[in-house]
Amino acid sequence: MTAHIRPVCAVWVGMVCLVFCSRLSGMKAASICGNAQAECHFLSLANLFDRVIQHSARMHGISNDLHSEFELYFLPSKNQVSRVGRNCHTSNILTPNGKENAQRIEREELTEVIMKLLAAWRDPLWHFHQSVARNHRFNGYGSNKSLEMSDMAHELRKGVQKVVEKMQTLGVISNSVGGLASPEALLAADGSGWRFMKDSDLLYCFRRDSNKIQNYLKILKCRIVPEHGC
Amino acid sequence: MSLLAPSYLRDILKRCSSSETLRSNKQLFHSIEADLITLLLLLSVRLCASPPGKPVLIGCRSPEKETFTCWWEPGFNGGLPTRHRLFYEKEGSEEVHECPDYWSAGKNSCFFGKEQTSIWVEYSLTVVAFNALGNTSSDLFKIDDVMKIVKPYTPENVTVLVNDTANTPYLCVSWNHPPKVDTKSGWTTIKYELRVQKEDNKPEIFHPNKKNSFKVYNVDPGATYTVDMRCQLDQSSWSEWSTASVVKIPNYFQNEKPFWILVSIFSVIPLLATICIVVLKRKFVKQWLLPPVPGPKIRGVDVQLLKSGRAEDVINALIGNQNFPPAAAWMDQTEEYLLVSDSNDWLLTDPYISQKKKSLVIPAGVQLEIQCRTSAPAQSDCENAEVGKDGKVEPDHLAQTKESVLNVAAPSVSSGSKEAASGNAAGPTGYVDIQQHKGTQGAGPNAAQWDYSWVKEVNGETIFILKNEDAAAGLDVPGWEENTAADYSRVKEVNGDDVVLLQKHDSADSSCKKKEDRSAEWTNQKAKSRHGSDCGKGACLQIAGNGYVDSVPRFYVE
Repeated sequence: MTAHIRPVCAVWVGMVCLVFCSRLSGMKAASICGNAQAECHFLSLANLFDRVIQHSARMHGISNDLHSEFELYFLPSKNQVSRVGRNCHTSNILTPNGKENAQRIEREELTEVIMKLLAAWRDPLWHFHQSVARNHRFNGYGSNKSLEMSDMAHELRKGVQKVVEKMQTLGVISNSVGGLASPEALLAADGSGWRFMKDSDLLYCFRRDSNKIQNYLKILKCRIVPEHGC
Repeated sequence: MSLLAPSYLRDILKRCSSSETLRSNKQLFHSIEADLITLLLLLSVRLCASPPGKPVLIGCRSPEKETFTCWWEPGFNGGLPTRHRLFYEKEGSEEVHECPDYWSAGKNSCFFGKEQTSIWVEYSLTVVAFNALGNTSSDLFKIDDVMKIVKPYTPENVTVLVNDTANTPYLCVSWNHPPKVDTKSGWTTIKYELRVQKEDNKPEIFHPNKKNSFKVYNVDPGATYTVDMRCQLDQSSWSEWSTASVVKIPNYFQNEKPFWILVSIFSVIPLLATICIVVLKRKFVKQWLLPPVPGPKIRGVDVQLLKSGRAEDVINALIGNQNFPPAAAWMDQTEEYLLVSDSNDWLLTDPYISQKKKSLVIPAGVQLEIQCRTSAPAQSDCENAEVGKDGKVEPDHLAQTKESVLNVAAPSVSSGSKEAASGNAAGPTGYVDIQQHKGTQGAGPNAAQWDYSWVKEVNGETIFILKNEDAAAGLDVPGWEENTAADYSRVKEVNGDDVVLLQKHDSADSSCKKKEDRSAEWTNQKAKSRHGSDCGKGACLQIAGNGYVDSVPRFYVE
């Protein structure tokens, strides 16, 4: 009797595993969308938008923390002449500065602005993290945050790219929106003005730009899929 | 006109030199006095007049992230009417702009409308105070980002309702978004904070997810709660707290007091009644609740008698009332049977038998069937003694039956009729076959547990034994075949007075036979036995009556 139990058990376990794995793979393959295809596309677009907005909010939060910490420890005196001459390297990107402006411009243009901003910050953030890690300017907490910030900017860029692709497949925006390899993006990324920026200015500029990105994404979502939580 | 103008002095001198006398001198004196005072005043004013003091910009606020307002505090005005003007510069351009609206937001304020407001742009503000003597500028006031000065108004129409349906009361708080805030376009994300304070305890903070309503569940009846709210736009500064609403939860226990009083009254009355009943009928209740457990008791045995310890009484008590195992009873009976002879006197005078008349104990559930030979079918002369449950047969009844049987049987011994083939052969032996079931002949093959040979007839010293395979059709010999498998052997032949020839075990054959097919064949054993004993087959054992061969044979021969 006992001699039979072991092989039987093994076979049983094997069968269970097989069933389970097949179910898992089946689950991966199954999509949220069922029959109503059109509604489902818009629903998943709204879902994508929510995700990127959440991501951008978190990124802005981190940049805000870093900036305040930096100001607290490294710039105790508020009145500094250098602050007058602050100039972000993304100043050349024309961004809508108000609600009406943001609502007035085209969707494609707004999307382009977001993409440009994200592209412009890829390298500076990475170098900032390198300098922080190398010089031990911050404590460990700050160093972790700078890395996180850099990673999040990267992830957000990919996420927004996905959203753009989705929008293009749905026909919401035209295909003229440049991707990552668009000339504007490359130009912005190539600009080496950021190398000479001070850390404080860099943090200040990025905090502002991350807030812009978050707001633009929210406005874009409410323009394209307004019925899903606006 | 200057006080010290020469013309003025000339006039004064003229007046002094005039001939208008004292009257005019008095007048002159008064006028001089007034003039002097006026002169002094004007001097003082002239000396204290100054350019205006430095105004101070207090702060700016944007309630909805689309416009903003700035306020300043004017300095000392220098005794002269002053005027304040605000100038600002935006980041990235050197152009200086002036405040577009000085009036909308009240005194000493500047309101920037939608067109003038740019988010994510640095503003540099200055307020300049102007008066007749000069102007003074305030310090530069910088707004890094309009996002930093965002502070919404309080939520509107905060109403609190006490909802006391069901058993759990809760507070239902509802509100509207602050005025002028655009929540639909996605430009701002508004977040609310609700504060609930119970009387003087520490306030509790909630963050509602819904836009307009919230339910507070953990409220205590009878307590007073203070509820207020504030909101926030996109991680900006929190607004002020709204005006507090004070609510009191009604106390349910008080409302339901009469109900509970009634309930308690109505439950107390049956309780008291139950107690009275229980107390009055104590014994009855006790008996019903805890019935007395009967002690062990042997029927017919007097416990007191046993306790007294007399040996005779004990023996009588115990033996007389006990259910002996059937074997012993049968043994006695077999003794009995073999003792019997033709003469009734002998039978009746047997002391043992007379003693036995007392009580014949037969196992329970057994039907004692005694059939008469003379009248086989009719049962009028016969007695069917049915044994009761306790296994005890009425002694009188049995004695009668026995006697009758014996009496009846005696004359017919020699007849050797076949009538007794049916049922039990009840000769003068008084052999009683105990069957475990009621029934007539041919009853089912239920177990008669006894392996007996049927004694058909006793002829003097000859005992006619019914052979198994020749069993009569009507004979009720249930279980013969089965029981041969037990320790007993069947008697094949009785050889003389003290020799019994046992049959070999051929139960297989016999079991196949149906009982109905059996035919009674009486064999005269005696005749055979004269020729010689045939002890070769099987064992030679001494007979013990009815074919039941016991290990300890007892054989009585008259």
